[in-house]
Amino acid sequence: MATGNGVRRKLLLLIVLFAFWMVFTASLAWHELVLGAVSCALVAAMTVSLLGRALDPRITPAVLLRLPVFMLRLTWEIIKANYDVAKIILNPKLPIDPRIVEYRTYLPDDLPRTVFSDSITLTPGTVTVELEGNRLNVHCLCPYHEEGLAGLEKMVAWLFGIRKEGEVTADG
Amino acid sequence: MSAARDIVAGALCCIGTFFFLVGTTGLLRMPDVFTRLHPSTKCDTLGACSVIVGMAVYSGWSWELCKLVVIACFLLLSSATCGHAIGRSALRRNIPYWRRQGKETGDGNGA
Repeated sequence: MATGNGVRRKLLLLIVLFAFWMVFTASLAWHELVLGAVSCALVAAMTVSLLGRALDPRITPAVLLRLPVFMLRLTWEIIKANYDVAKIILNPKLPIDPRIVEYRTYLPDDLPRTVFSDSITLTPGTVTVELEGNRLNVHCLCPYHEEGLAGLEKMVAWLFGIRKEGEVTADG
Repeated sequence: MSAARDIVAGALCCIGTFFFLVGTTGLLRMPDVFTRLHPSTKCDTLGACSVIVGMAVYSGWSWELCKLVVIACFLLLSSATCGHAIGRSALRRNIPYWRRQGKETGDGNGA
């Protein structure tokens, strides 16, 4: 790995750790800040080989900017689907027809796929039970829950700025 | 102003409690491990998040708000990861999943 990349990772890790320090100490006193900066720098230098892997090169400023919008959209999906699952649970007949469906995603790399499968699991009615390569096994509570997967995939693709192969998208 | 804030915070906490109740009911009513994952990871997520948002409204703009946001993020991440881990280990152990009567039981190796 290039040295420049390593320094960039260390800096990123330092920023993340320091943000956590600020939240947990909840103080702007200068001695707290100095102590936090020094300890965060030490921890970042020591653990970059461990935690640095979490800092995927796909996490760019554009992705971080889109992240709040993505989370809001995901929250809306979760609320809608939660209402739906609550209705199923409270229905005396318990109208479920569960099945495991196989879904092949066009999302590349580990991070977008992980975000996608986590989003599926967070959205009620669907749980990712296995992720292998581009193949996801998704347990659906009702057959129609499967229909939401493509929409979620599109949202994750938008978050990472990925275009489906052979598809011309109007928005960037 | 303060009263309105209390009402909103209380209402959000009530919504959260309701979803906890629904999640627990679902956990008890569902027939097998896969279907039980749905209410336990989902309704609990929204339930806990509603309670956290309610507390955030109650605390107002303070450091507690940041801490609550961090707690919510950890909760969402760990809930999804945990649900996935349980589902995957059940699949690996070839535990058959429940199907509606009249249909054959799944063999646990996907559709």
